[in-house]
Amino acid sequence: MTNVMEVYNLLPKTNCKECGKSTCMAFAVDLLARKVKVDDCSPIKNENQYIENYQKLTDLFKTSDDVSEAGLIVHEEKCTGCGNCVVACPVNVSHDPKGVALGKAPKSNKVILRVIDGVVKSSNVHECRRFGEEKILCNACIVTCPNKAIEFV
Amino acid sequence: MDDFGKYLSKPEHEIRIITYRDVFQSSAAEKSKFSDEYKNLSAIIQLDKKDIKKMGLKIGHNVIVKSTVGEVTVQLKVIESDIPHQGFAYMPNSPWSNAIVPLSDDRSGVPEYKMLHATIKDAKNESITLIEELIA
Amino acid sequence: MVIFLRNKYSVCPGCSLLCDDIEIEMKGTEIDKANNACIKGVSRIKDTKKLESKIDGNEVNQDEAIFKAAELLQNANNPLIFGLDNSTTEAQLEAIKLAKLISATIDDNSSFCQGPIVNAILKNELKTCTLDDVRDYADVLVFWGADPSNSHPRLNSKYAYYPRGKERQRGWDEDRTAIAIDVRESSSSVLCKDNFYQIPPRSDGELMTALSSAFSGKMPKVSFDIETQRILKLSNILKKAKYGVIFAGLGLTYSQTGIETIKNFLTELNTYSNFHLIPMVGHYNMRGFNQALYNETGYVNRVKFVKNESGNLDIKHGLQYSVLEQLNNKEPDTVLIIGTDPFTSMPHSVAKKLKEVPTIIIDPCETLTEKIADVVIRSAKSGIECGGNAIRIDGTCVELVPIINSGCLCDEHIICKIMEEI
Repeated sequence: MTNVMEVYNLLPKTNCKECGKSTCMAFAVDLLARKVKVDDCSPIKNENQYIENYQKLTDLFKTSDDVSEAGLIVHEEKCTGCGNCVVACPVNVSHDPKGVALGKAPKSNKVILRVIDGVVKSSNVHECRRFGEEKILCNACIVTCPNKAIEFV
Repeated sequence: MDDFGKYLSKPEHEIRIITYRDVFQSSAAEKSKFSDEYKNLSAIIQLDKKDIKKMGLKIGHNVIVKSTVGEVTVQLKVIESDIPHQGFAYMPNSPWSNAIVPLSDDRSGVPEYKMLHATIKDAKNESITLIEELIA
Repeated sequence: MVIFLRNKYSVCPGCSLLCDDIEIEMKGTEIDKANNACIKGVSRIKDTKKLESKIDGNEVNQDEAIFKAAELLQNANNPLIFGLDNSTTEAQLEAIKLAKLISATIDDNSSFCQGPIVNAILKNELKTCTLDDVRDYADVLVFWGADPSNSHPRLNSKYAYYPRGKERQRGWDEDRTAIAIDVRESSSSVLCKDNFYQIPPRSDGELMTALSSAFSGKMPKVSFDIETQRILKLSNILKKAKYGVIFAGLGLTYSQTGIETIKNFLTELNTYSNFHLIPMVGHYNMRGFNQALYNETGYVNRVKFVKNESGNLDIKHGLQYSVLEQLNNKEPDTVLIIGTDPFTSMPHSVAKKLKEVPTIIIDPCETLTEKIADVVIRSAKSGIECGGNAIRIDGTCVELVPIINSGCLCDEHIICKIMEEI
């Protein structure tokens, strides 16, 4: 799990305010919450001296780009494609009662999680119970993962 | 002091080894058993934190594991588990573990895959046993 | 986004679950993606390389290699055929024919794996059920010396813990209890949370005895460190199960708990409850080999065919015909290995004996053992490049349909050709 200090330490720490935040720490907090993107920090993106840290930060936030709003991260290198999360996800179950609910291949395109070529991929994440105004702290995909490959930030 | 230490043989510690299956290693085997990926996932031994400390070994260093039938040099790893398993080490089922697994003397005909008596010591500068050396 | 163009699913030959819902995406004539399969299955399905047959390490065409293999086997007085757990049932039957033809010893990996349990199941001495039954009815799952997350990655998502089934409609957290009994914490035991029972190596039998005492209301006693309360709790869960399933892993088989102890435990448990046992066989068609040889001989492995004086075949069976004993005692004078790799799976003290005898290998992949073999015959990868039938972990027959056409000969046909040459 990435923490805010790790992220902060990779930032320029100049508090230049170019991003609109008052400090680099505030930017780090928002970055973790997926409210801003790494590229919103113009110095780290454009200045040569930060090139290594830019790469590290980009890698850190890469996997979650398409699911930023629900904050779901799949650590693909830890995923075995077992599909436990796919079958345990209550949203998947309600959208696909004849497919993933029964442990079978997905029959609906509305599922949130599915295994593509050996690794779990997410889509339609706005349907996730952790998303939106009515959100609840559902953790079905996290507790059923044998390798802690899924987390929410 | 360092120079002197070089001439002392490293102490050996007794350990019992349990072999296990690892899906990432099995997957690497499907791709190629001659790959670095397969070696890195196979040629390892996992010990309890406390054992590592007690034996004066270093995580990430290579160790020589020796049984009555052979020896291999593999990398030492630690398991981040809340459940202690002192005295027991784990190795994935692989050509490296099979180099040191003896046959059992009972009538089951099953080798000692799950209870292998061995010794472990620091490998100094020895590198991990190559797969070619295991077949030779 | 995935578009469902294919309406036909493929079967994964990665392990004995034989998952039958794999969606293949092709790129030209190559497999691009294998969806719904686990990483092990994906590697099996996708990593198919074109390799050449060899004699003494030199590349030759396949016919030459087959001819050489036939010659070696024909001249052998005491040949051994070993492997076949990654072959179709059709290939296994041909190999048994070959064994009869050349009076060979025949054995497979179950000889030092799940053989005793599969044998007991085929003899109806252990109550068992299908994976579909597990999904539809099982409320208590026991992973005993088993770590399916690593050995059979989709067991829990497809059949055991997580799916909804006919009488399991409310979801895993309400409807099912999963228990792990093991000597080490594993990726599977963590899923069982408080229902993980760690025991010292080789005390499985002792725990069974203690549980049996607890079933009948006696105080359970064990020599190792575990709270009596926990054993009582476990015994209660087992007793109250409506439909229980024990997944017997290699940990249990290798724990020196005799098959009689396991049988007695299940019988005792079933005076109170309704438990079934499924052996966690590894290779995709190990159970098929056991079944095929059992049908032919009455034994699941470790068989030798001997021509008697009247020209008929006698069937011999016993530990001395196991691959490990045979090699260790330097009995065979020629060894045919089909679809398995002794240097990966068996003690090297035994595998190294292969260097002293002519060794023939039939395999689609580059194996360690082929480095010391005299003849290597490349075969098609079954389930990917050629089809046939296989027996799933639970005894269900599953048909494999080839995904790609490589023109490569499958092991069934290679064995037939060897027999024609002989």
